[in-house]
Amino acid sequence: MELFEQELLELICKTCNLDDVEMDVIKADDPLIGPDSILGLDSLDALEIAVTIQQEYGVRMDSENTSRDVLQSLGTLAEYINQKN
Amino acid sequence: MGSSNHPSITKESARAILLIDFPHLQSAHCESGVAANLLSHKGIAFSEAMAFGVGGGLFFGYLPFIRINGLPLVTYRSAAGHILKRIGRIPGVGIYQKTFRDKGQAMAELDAALDQSIPVGLQTGVYWLPYFPKALRFHFNAHNLVVYGKDGDEYLISDPVFPGPVRCPAEDLIRARFASGALAPKGKMYYLTQVPDQLQRRPLIVDGITVVCKNMLDSHFPLIGVKGIQFMAGRLEKWPERLGRERADLHLGHVVRMQEEIGTGGGGFRFMYAAFLQESANELQDTPLAEAASMLTAAGDSWREFAVMAARICKNRTQPQDSYVAMAEQIRECGALEERFFRKLEQWLKQQS
Repeated sequence: MELFEQELLELICKTCNLDDVEMDVIKADDPLIGPDSILGLDSLDALEIAVTIQQEYGVRMDSENTSRDVLQSLGTLAEYINQKN
Repeated sequence: MGSSNHPSITKESARAILLIDFPHLQSAHCESGVAANLLSHKGIAFSEAMAFGVGGGLFFGYLPFIRINGLPLVTYRSAAGHILKRIGRIPGVGIYQKTFRDKGQAMAELDAALDQSIPVGLQTGVYWLPYFPKALRFHFNAHNLVVYGKDGDEYLISDPVFPGPVRCPAEDLIRARFASGALAPKGKMYYLTQVPDQLQRRPLIVDGITVVCKNMLDSHFPLIGVKGIQFMAGRLEKWPERLGRERADLHLGHVVRMQEEIGTGGGGFRFMYAAFLQESANELQDTPLAEAASMLTAAGDSWREFAVMAARICKNRTQPQDSYVAMAEQIRECGALEERFFRKLEQWLKQQS
């Protein structure tokens, strides 16, 4: 996992109060949200993550499709933020 | 399927395949997405946001006497069918629509339209559509999609909330078209019969904004428009006391889902309407409309702040400032922002006449 993806993972864990996550088993292309989420995150978590990303990196996810696509994995999220900045 | 010499239709003798060249574009909201895709197929480039705005899609209503799964109805958009109805009233646009009692007749008419290379809009019940992941199937009977072809016993579908075209067996599509319950589709199908050579967008934009301003500012009912936003704030503040903490959280989660999910594009459709205003501002070279778009984006952000606080409460990870009282204040702020926004739009409308 890239350094930036690691940073995003830590931010997500902090935002969603995930204390017992084994960071080193998470891969950049693991599903982030939904029934297959390795972190057990749902759409309410996705909302908090989208707003936190906006506050921390100034990158807006204001369409449902955008957030659905962007939050597929840590990799897609990192790519989106890098593109926008 | 019957024969046709239409160049965009492919047919194979071994397994009848009929495929209309249809532009599938993913959208946040099914009704505005279908409207935009049907118009685009007829050669009129129309974004989802433009269809939503021209269709007068923005709204607010808190209707506690109508229950969905035992929870009060809160809606951030106009009634199902309203957008397509308004699109059908655009001068020069013709729309054919029909409901059915007989399932066989409903499917035969669908096939007959496909035979003539006509992509057909359908109202369906989400629960019966097998291409939806099970976790997302719920009893909502006003889901719109477009059938653009048939391959053997499967229909080829442009469902605007999916990234690409999908397939649905005929048997399941019949169930979806004749789902029972609230907003039962009764086999409803529709398609565009004609479109104008040229579309004058200014009057459509003005009309779309007029109907939304009227609903949001001038309703006599305290549950509708900006008054309804303030009313919901008052109710929500008292939920823990009236309902107990568990039921209050259930109500809260429901409000957030209606606002941020179910195809709203986020912020209870406010971001989508802001995109419509921005597109209109560009089209009409109109700075005040662009300013109005920014104001509504700010209101959408304010709704999101409420939703994030609500999500933390529902997930039991509250911060010191989180409470039902604080959420009610946040909603009141949303109401105040929206009132200022709609008053500005009202002023803009006066200048157009």
